[in-house]
Amino acid sequence: MSDFDVKLDEPRGNSPLPPERPLDSGSEALTEALRSSFWIIKLVMFLLLIVFLGSGFFTVEPQEQAMIIRLGRPVGTGQKALLGPGFHLSFPYPIDEHIKVPISAIQKVTSTVGWYATTPEQELAGTEPATLPIQYPLKPLVDGYVLTADRNIIHTRATLTYHISDPVTYVFNFANASNTVQNALDNALVYAASTFNVDDILTRDVAGFKEAVRKRVVTLVSQENLGVDIEECLIQSRPARQLRDAFDSVLKAALTRQALLEAAHSSEAQISSKAGADARSLISLAESDRSRLVNEVRSQADRFNDLLPKFQQSPQLFVQQRLTETLGRVLTNAQDKIFLAGGEAGGPSTGNQKELRVLLNREPPKQKSDETKP
Amino acid sequence: MKRNPLILAIGFLLILIVGLLLFVFQVRKSEVVVVTRFGRPDRDISQPGPHLKWPWPIESVHRFDQRVQNFEDKLTEGLTSDSFNVLSSVFVGWEITDPKAFFPKFAAGSEPIAEAEKILDRMLSNAKAAVIAKHALFDFLSPTPEGNKFVDIEHEILSVVQAQVQANNYGLKIDFLGLKRLGLPENVTASVFERMQAERKRLADKSQFEGEAEAQTIRAEAERKAAVVLADAGAQATAIRGKGEAEAAKSLSEFQKNPQLANFIFGLNALEDSLKDKSTLIFDQHTPPFNLFNGVSTNLFNRAQ
Repeated sequence: MSDFDVKLDEPRGNSPLPPERPLDSGSEALTEALRSSFWIIKLVMFLLLIVFLGSGFFTVEPQEQAMIIRLGRPVGTGQKALLGPGFHLSFPYPIDEHIKVPISAIQKVTSTVGWYATTPEQELAGTEPATLPIQYPLKPLVDGYVLTADRNIIHTRATLTYHISDPVTYVFNFANASNTVQNALDNALVYAASTFNVDDILTRDVAGFKEAVRKRVVTLVSQENLGVDIEECLIQSRPARQLRDAFDSVLKAALTRQALLEAAHSSEAQISSKAGADARSLISLAESDRSRLVNEVRSQADRFNDLLPKFQQSPQLFVQQRLTETLGRVLTNAQDKIFLAGGEAGGPSTGNQKELRVLLNREPPKQKSDETKP
Repeated sequence: MKRNPLILAIGFLLILIVGLLLFVFQVRKSEVVVVTRFGRPDRDISQPGPHLKWPWPIESVHRFDQRVQNFEDKLTEGLTSDSFNVLSSVFVGWEITDPKAFFPKFAAGSEPIAEAEKILDRMLSNAKAAVIAKHALFDFLSPTPEGNKFVDIEHEILSVVQAQVQANNYGLKIDFLGLKRLGLPENVTASVFERMQAERKRLADKSQFEGEAEAQTIRAEAERKAAVVLADAGAQATAIRGKGEAEAAKSLSEFQKNPQLANFIFGLNALEDSLKDKSTLIFDQHTPPFNLFNGVSTNLFNRAQ
């Protein structure tokens, strides 16, 4: 702008004899036009200067962060290098430069090297792809999968969340740090799968597998000096769609086995409680037998002691009396009484024999027992 | 001429700015710079900050990304020592360490990084094939930490590539390398599935048989324990009865005072007990009290005669 100044000022300052009147109206109009455009240029220059000085100010949006690079070096270390959302001031270029980095508080990467091909729609809906017949092979370029320690094929995927502990390293030492984290996760998944058997990954040691993946990722990112801290690692594992039925049948068999065992345990409890009850009743029966026996003998002994004096007074009479008394009682109770009259004392030798036929029936019905009566 | 000092100052400032732009350049932390003099690499600068140079066309500045680059190669097939075809893909983190060596080899194209990665890709697939051929499949896949040589294999591939990079003096360094995928050719996966299906079937059958056998064992064991408990109880019951008999025997001594009476009483009791119900008694006239009929003439007696 000063060039213009000089050139425009010269004719006026140096001419000793300014023309008393313009040479013509045309040149006067030209001078006027030059003067006014010079002022416009001056104004534009001034505005540009303001803009240049003001370019040091910048704002950071809520979802992003920024860093200032002063003469090529990032300002601040560690988390301090990051400028949060808001209004910030820096020197104008070329002294300072600010770069915006899309770093959120929590970064997330997902490894799908071990997952079958899905469409975004399927992902959104969360639906599992249909079961495939077993003849369908996996296409290496389309379907992801991992190989397990027992040489089986399985699908597994991992989602890793991490935060950036050293943004300067993350941004200035790595061309694509988040891809590097992703690769570390891919590697961890493939590596961990190569040390686990298929059943451990799917059911038996899900937590162990997850821990192995996590441990490997942590080792890798610290070896690679990525400047990130791993937070959480989520693992999802599925049998191949071609084998879903086969895996389900194993699961079903395990459930059946469980049910069988439970049934066995409940019958075990039943048997043992029944045995306990039976044993207790056996013992209590024996106890009652014992006390009955003892009491019976004792009561007999008491009765004996009561009767003894009477017996000693007159044994013959006592015996006769008791016997008759007892027979009387017995005869009252007996159902059938048969009296065989006749015949002299002496029996068969007299030659006067009688034959008595008794029809015995183990469980004689009432009517029949009536018939046997004479 | 009043404005001359100001004009001079402004003019000087402008000359200074132009001069700075011509003679000074900045190096960012993420960059490494090669300064060429008349097209030949003269010096490289990796220290961030402002640096001096001669203006174009004497010297010119070539900037390279000094950060760790992330490169992933394609899936390639390799034959293991036990003749399994294995597909593998690796990732590497590499960086430019010697820009003066790097510059003449790769800077011809517009994308020196991509040029370098083409070379890397070739070296990687050779190195992978060479290392995989030295290992059996169980070196890749094994549940035991001693058997699993996964990490060793990665190190071997890395050292092979590293050696080639150094031998060719590419001016770059590989920081880390890892297997990103490990797979089998398409037609092999189908046979793996068949094997896995057979294995699943075996597992399901085994689980069922084991369940049945275990259930049976549990039941048998329960029965056995129950039998033991009952036998114990039986023994205890016998012992209790024995004790009862022993106690009763003490009372029996009472009866010795007069055995004749005792026997008579026992006999009477036995008689009474045995004839309690549903008994049929047959008498003749000699049995008391029916002996009373003797010598008395009755109708009954006569009819029987």
